Amino acid sequence: MANTVIQVNDLTKIFETKKEKVTALQDVNLTIKNREFVVLVGASGCGKTTLINTIAGFEKPTSGEVLLHGEPVTGIDPRCGMVFQQYALFDWKTVINNVDFGLKMKGMKLKERRELAQQYIDMVGLQGFENAYPSQLSGGMKQRVSLARTLANNPEIMLLDEPFAALDAMTRQVLQEELIRIYSESQKTILFITHSIDEALLLSTRVSVMTSRPGKIKQFLENDLPWPRDADVQLHPRYQELKSEVWSTVQEEVMKTAGLLGADKDKC
Amino acid sequence: MPSLSGNNVPGLLKGFKLDLRVVSVISLVLFITIWESIIRAGLVAPLFLPAPSMIVNDFMRLYERGEIWFHISASARRVLIGFALAGSIAVPLGILLGASKFLKAVADPLLSILRPLPSMSWIPLSLLWLGITETQKYSIVFMGSFAPTVLYTIEATRSIDPVIIRAALNLGASRARLMREVILPGSLPMIVSGLKVMLGIAWTTVISAELVAADKGLGYLIMDGREFFRTEQVLLGMALISITVMTIDIAFRSVEKKIIPWMEG
Ligand SMILES: Nc1ncnc2c1ncn2[C@@H]1O[C@H](COP(=O)(O)OP(=O)(O)OP(=O)(O)O)[C@@H](O)[C@H]1O
Ligand SMILES: [Mg+2]
Repeated sequence: MANTVIQVNDLTKIFETKKEKVTALQDVNLTIKNREFVVLVGASGCGKTTLINTIAGFEKPTSGEVLLHGEPVTGIDPRCGMVFQQYALFDWKTVINNVDFGLKMKGMKLKERRELAQQYIDMVGLQGFENAYPSQLSGGMKQRVSLARTLANNPEIMLLDEPFAALDAMTRQVLQEELIRIYSESQKTILFITHSIDEALLLSTRVSVMTSRPGKIKQFLENDLPWPRDADVQLHPRYQELKSEVWSTVQEEVMKTAGLLGADKDKC
Repeated sequence: MPSLSGNNVPGLLKGFKLDLRVVSVISLVLFITIWESIIRAGLVAPLFLPAPSMIVNDFMRLYERGEIWFHISASARRVLIGFALAGSIAVPLGILLGASKFLKAVADPLLSILRPLPSMSWIPLSLLWLGITETQKYSIVFMGSFAPTVLYTIEATRSIDPVIIRAALNLGASRARLMREVILPGSLPMIVSGLKVMLGIAWTTVISAELVAADKGLGYLIMDGREFFRTEQVLLGMALISITVMTIDIAFRSVEKKIIPWMEG
């Protein structure tokens, strides 16, 4: 399909440590088409970060493959802009130097990239902190710098790993709405990870639920809530239907994780 | 639990801080006074342990002959030149070896053999090769600190969180840019703290070398005093070492703040 941007075929990822082998992902299949906004939900430790890392080229598949526009991913690919769960900021650079890093790498002139970076700093509400170092920021502020850094680089594909987890409810809502706006106005394809079903339904065109370890994609759900969206989408009658549908699958997996933990203990 | 935070009792805490500084001064004055009176009372022979006033007199004697600064600068120059030579070659080399597994494998055996050798163990060989010269002093500092600095720098580059490197590559950094924009600044705090240790070792090395063979420097001053039974000159030399190293330490710390401004404290 010419329309396909990300294609994951039978992806299995096994981490080998000295003590044990952890199967983080097993036979994952996922196809994301151009301009889709896919949100991935799943219990903690089920392999969401591993999946997104493999798509970005940070991890090599144990078996299976990841294709970007039909070509296998062989290394870290700047077409996929990543927002990291752990922020991954450059501690030695000020906020503005963090945000314009990608532009600098592209060879953009100082004045031009400063202006652009400033726009994104304003967007995430960090004006006044341009010259602060990351060590002087709170967790939520760091997360916003990380988001601005990736957005400023304007990647075709965005991979976001729980980007709003450390934010207060109000800031989260502002940034969710910004992301909706950016998505609506651009041609971006987005894969977004979250623990929040509400966030998944607010943002996505499609929700997918992962099973607990080893991670597999268990359910795809077309999110047909109307656009443009804002927080009021929760009042839509379809919202509750979708929510309970996702919730029942997630709940099953969470219960299984709890059960599995019990079984593991018995083995020891 | 109620706590005495700074906000509740700012005056008390401030006063307390000041008190501590006064305590330190009093302690120093008391120490010197007791020492002075023990010698004045004739409890210990001045040849064995001269009184502080005798050390000050000796300082004045040498000061008038312009010898104080002469010896301090002689030692300091040896330390700083040897240290700068070692650092300016070892740090870039360490960063290079940190980036290339192949080059590291090439260099590893030699570095592993050199590392355990204390600086002082180079003194005899350096005397044989270079004689009692300035180059000989630089070379022992260099040999003593080169391998540890390279290895420490390699370790510093390895200590960078891999997620940070991923982020840089994900944002389009080339290999060369990654080195300059991420690996170098990211490992700088650890490199600088390693260099601080090496600077301390460089002092020990130079003073030891001067104690063995030299015609100037603080180590020489001490040996010269010993030879002529001028114990006050021995103690003066020791005091000057202490003061010089403390001064350089303070200077180094202010440089450190300038080159790694993102580190707090
Ligand atoms: N580098 C690694 N080495 C060994 N095991 C790993 C490694 N990375 C991840 N794992 C394991 O793989 C599993 C999946 O981890 P992953 O980080 O993908 O989970 P996650 O779904 O992102 O969880 P969370 O929601 O808590 O972020 C976990 O059991 C984890 O312990
Ligand atoms: Mg994760």
